[in-house]
Amino acid sequence: MASVGALVEVLGVRHHGPGSARSVAEALDELDPDLVVIEGPPELDGLLELGGRRDLVPPVAGLVYAVDAPRRASFYPLAEFSPEWVAMRWALRRGVAVRFADLPAVHALAETPASPDDSEDVEHTGDAEHGPPDAIGTLARVAGYDDPERWWEDAVEQRASSALARFAAIREAMSAVRAADGWGDRDPENQRREAAMRRVLRAAVKEGRERIAVVCGAYHAPALDPAAWPAAAHDTRLLTRLPRTKVAVTWAPWTADRLAVASGYGAGVTAPGWYQHLFVSWSRNQDDEVVSRWLTRVARALREEGLPAAPATVVEAARLAEALATVRGRPSVGLPELDDATEAVLCEGSPLPLGLIHRRITVGESLGRVPAGTPMVPLARDVDRTQRALRMRPSATETTLVLDLRKPSQRERSVLLHRLRLLGVPWGQPADAGRTTGTFKEAWTLQWHPEYAVSLVEAGLHGTTVVGAASSLVAERSAQADLDALAALVEQCLICELPDALDDVVRALAARTATQADVVSLLLAIEPLARTRRYGDVREADTTLVAEVLDTVVARASVDLRPGCASLDDDAAARMRDAVDAAQRGVSLVAGDGPPAVWRAALLAVASDRQVHGLVSGRVHRILLDGGVLDTSAIAERLSQRLSVGSSALAGAAWLDGFLDGDAVLLLHDPALLGIVDDWVSGVAEETFDDLVPLLRRTFARYQPAERRQIGTRLQHRDTSGPSYDGSEGGPTDDELWERAAPVVSRVAELLGLGPVGSSR
Amino acid sequence: MTATPLRAHAEEACADELAALAAVDDRPRPPRWRLSPWAVATYLLGGELDDGTTISAKYVGSRRLVEIAVASLATDRALLLLGVPGTAKTWVSEHLAAAISGDSTLVVQGTAGTPEESLRYGWNYARLLAEGPSRDAVVPSPVMRAMERGSIARIEELTRIPADVQDALISILSEKAMGVPELDDEVQAQQGFNVIATANNRDKGVNELSSALRRRFNTVVLPLPDTLEQEVEIVHSRVSATGRSLELPAEIEALSQIERVVTIFRELRSGTTLDRRTTIKSPSATLSTAEAISVMTNGVALAAHFGDGVLRADDVAASLTGAVVKDPVQDRIVWQEYLETVVKDRPEWADLYRACRELG
Repeated sequence: MASVGALVEVLGVRHHGPGSARSVAEALDELDPDLVVIEGPPELDGLLELGGRRDLVPPVAGLVYAVDAPRRASFYPLAEFSPEWVAMRWALRRGVAVRFADLPAVHALAETPASPDDSEDVEHTGDAEHGPPDAIGTLARVAGYDDPERWWEDAVEQRASSALARFAAIREAMSAVRAADGWGDRDPENQRREAAMRRVLRAAVKEGRERIAVVCGAYHAPALDPAAWPAAAHDTRLLTRLPRTKVAVTWAPWTADRLAVASGYGAGVTAPGWYQHLFVSWSRNQDDEVVSRWLTRVARALREEGLPAAPATVVEAARLAEALATVRGRPSVGLPELDDATEAVLCEGSPLPLGLIHRRITVGESLGRVPAGTPMVPLARDVDRTQRALRMRPSATETTLVLDLRKPSQRERSVLLHRLRLLGVPWGQPADAGRTTGTFKEAWTLQWHPEYAVSLVEAGLHGTTVVGAASSLVAERSAQADLDALAALVEQCLICELPDALDDVVRALAARTATQADVVSLLLAIEPLARTRRYGDVREADTTLVAEVLDTVVARASVDLRPGCASLDDDAAARMRDAVDAAQRGVSLVAGDGPPAVWRAALLAVASDRQVHGLVSGRVHRILLDGGVLDTSAIAERLSQRLSVGSSALAGAAWLDGFLDGDAVLLLHDPALLGIVDDWVSGVAEETFDDLVPLLRRTFARYQPAERRQIGTRLQHRDTSGPSYDGSEGGPTDDELWERAAPVVSRVAELLGLGPVGSSR
Repeated sequence: MTATPLRAHAEEACADELAALAAVDDRPRPPRWRLSPWAVATYLLGGELDDGTTISAKYVGSRRLVEIAVASLATDRALLLLGVPGTAKTWVSEHLAAAISGDSTLVVQGTAGTPEESLRYGWNYARLLAEGPSRDAVVPSPVMRAMERGSIARIEELTRIPADVQDALISILSEKAMGVPELDDEVQAQQGFNVIATANNRDKGVNELSSALRRRFNTVVLPLPDTLEQEVEIVHSRVSATGRSLELPAEIEALSQIERVVTIFRELRSGTTLDRRTTIKSPSATLSTAEAISVMTNGVALAAHFGDGVLRADDVAASLTGAVVKDPVQDRIVWQEYLETVVKDRPEWADLYRACRELG
């Protein structure tokens, strides 16, 4: 419409389409606009200052988030081959004004009462979520192309020499698409977005801009053409009374991996690496080398993995790819042909290496970078500073890191990783430290995901530094956690080195133990506390307070233990057994010379109570036996009692399960005990035995096969030598023992030069 | 009475289809190809032509693989079809040769005793002694004849051929010429010459290809059929075709018998039932589609000659057991377990269970 008073040229593109990007660059050169308008919320204008910096390396994403609820965020990913990126860089390089046009994020990210809650967790990614389908992709599919880029190449690029004429054709095609599906004029969200885009254009015209280039998704192109503009009042009406929220913007590094459709970004592309390759080849005018350069890269990657991909076979692969394109009746070689040729020639028919190629080259592993001065939430800046100080560069590739906590610099790294995990940024995942039992070694698997940028924004609500945010997060949690969660927090404080928070947590813990009635929680609190007490010194934490609390908890738990063990059902008993086990581990960890008397007394009290559930009682007996509090004869007596005909067989089996759970050494080396167990098993009535079999089997199945075999052998031996409780009757006599030892003794004597010993006594 | 061969060559059996394809095929053909690459692919995969002729599918499976195979031959690179026994390697190679050169008979069967003469040339000693060395005394191998004619040579079971004999192929494939040093002469391959080799990647007594030779082949791995339906279709079409050529009166009236056999084969092969609920042991036999075909053909023959002409469980049971139980000790245990745990629990398979139990 001439009345607009300015030339508005709408360049409808395919998001992340290298063909579109190339055409956009040509069209901009042709048009030489004085303003470039790019689809995207106007808040992104604030990022343009950094947009031209050389150290802003794509893939990056414009991140817009609501300040008070950072989970509500939108990403606008840009790769080197994105038309939006190309347009922005083109304008910034020439000093041409650029601005973004779309529904402002202050409205888009505001919470609308109508929208369901679940959309909060899902990231809104530009066009991906609510946007129109990939209209160019649809057209390409209709035309029989599986790759929209190839369609663009054939149907758009080859048709007209003028890039502007090509985009005019796209606009026409899209008008037809819109008329056919009617979605664009029906969807209120889309209506608002297009109205907002037009508002920006009107303002630009009013400013007196003469040649305006608009880069937007092809689907919007017809609606932004001045000829189709509705009255300004129409748009204003659409854009009034929208909810508002406060938003902030920044650049976030992005990865090629995230650009790929596989990771859920709707407007994404299946093969970012391939598109990158196409775009780079085109922009260097190496159109005829696309295939050979690609296959050379593939061959190099295969060679790095030790596969023989000789240069001669690369030639053959290129020829096969071209022949395949001919057989399939395609005008040029595409990614499917290259993949097939790679598999048949370079990989010798095996599809496995193709997976590697797909990950490393077709998708690519590139991670974008943002300039040092990029606006960051204070917390992210602190993380960045710490990462630099510790020389830990975030990388999209998975790496393994083994830390020796005895070295201060390595311990700091561990602390940073632990703190970030606490803050919901699992950059490092604990890995297996390998064959070591030492507690000074830690292994991590590091992989930085771009979405951590959002997590950092969210964690920023708790504080402005890593240590501050982690401390206040712990303090916040300690206010509402129950006892065992608190105990776990204590440990977190220790490995994260949060001394201030530790005091808070321990105080909360001390207060909570006084009112805690559940003995299981008390018991479970012992182990983490004990570990803190024991290993706190390695981390140079002050654990005197922890020691005091630990003593209190042990004392309270001991007092409550016996009443707490009364009338337990099977499930409760299993929980209690695990809790007692954990508590015992904790107690023995800090006890210098035997467990505290109060704990030992509590265990003895439980052991002597015949009403306690067999599982718990058996376990307690085992602990007392291992600790040397009760001797074998006392245990044999109890076992015999528990397993005698008087008490029910099921209770007896439960007791045995609690008692024997663990290792078989006890049974193997204590013939008296084995005898009692054996006599009991062979003595139970047949129908009772049927009920017992599962229980017994469960107990014995935990032993190693070799141990079970050994037990079996011993029992056999026991049968032949007659029943015996004390082992004296069936055992060897002194003479026999001497005979067995004689050869050894004589050999040792010989070695020592004492002369032959002979058989003389 | 005219002699009728038991099995016709591919180019004879499918002469009509080849002629129909050649009639409509207006796409460019590589030198000395009877059909264009597109038409060759259509011949193998089946389809309907513009003039209404229906081309039957020779290979049921991925279109991609066939396209790669045809494109390889069009680039004058040799083609290596790889796969476990019974995945239609030979079948595909025969039909490819028939479609491209109209002649699938230039074939060398690889065995552990294949001499170099089978790949290069031998001598007619009577003539050699009588007339001295001359081209007339040379007995050309199928490969040499293919070179002279510019057609496709087939080498079956390439990995069974001893390694030193295999290497005779290297110069043929790279220089496309075969020297005859006795006559100070050579045979140069004419345009259109190429080699299709098949090889087994899971068998006893395999001679791995040297990397020099491997490099001269484009490799296509033929997989076992993806889905039950595909496999049933393959077995059904092949059993019907064999039944016709053997003039067996019995017809398979329903697919259910085939489906059952194919299900058993797939389950034993994958080590789990189709519903993925039960894990089972796998026998030592490969249990390929080809074996399923022979089990069914055998069953049809039994039904025709000793039964009532209708294929029943009893007819299938004997050859089914024979196909599964290759190792009399281990496989029998596997088979018994499978019968008791899987077959027995399927009520509609009761007849099969009974038939197999009776066999022991």
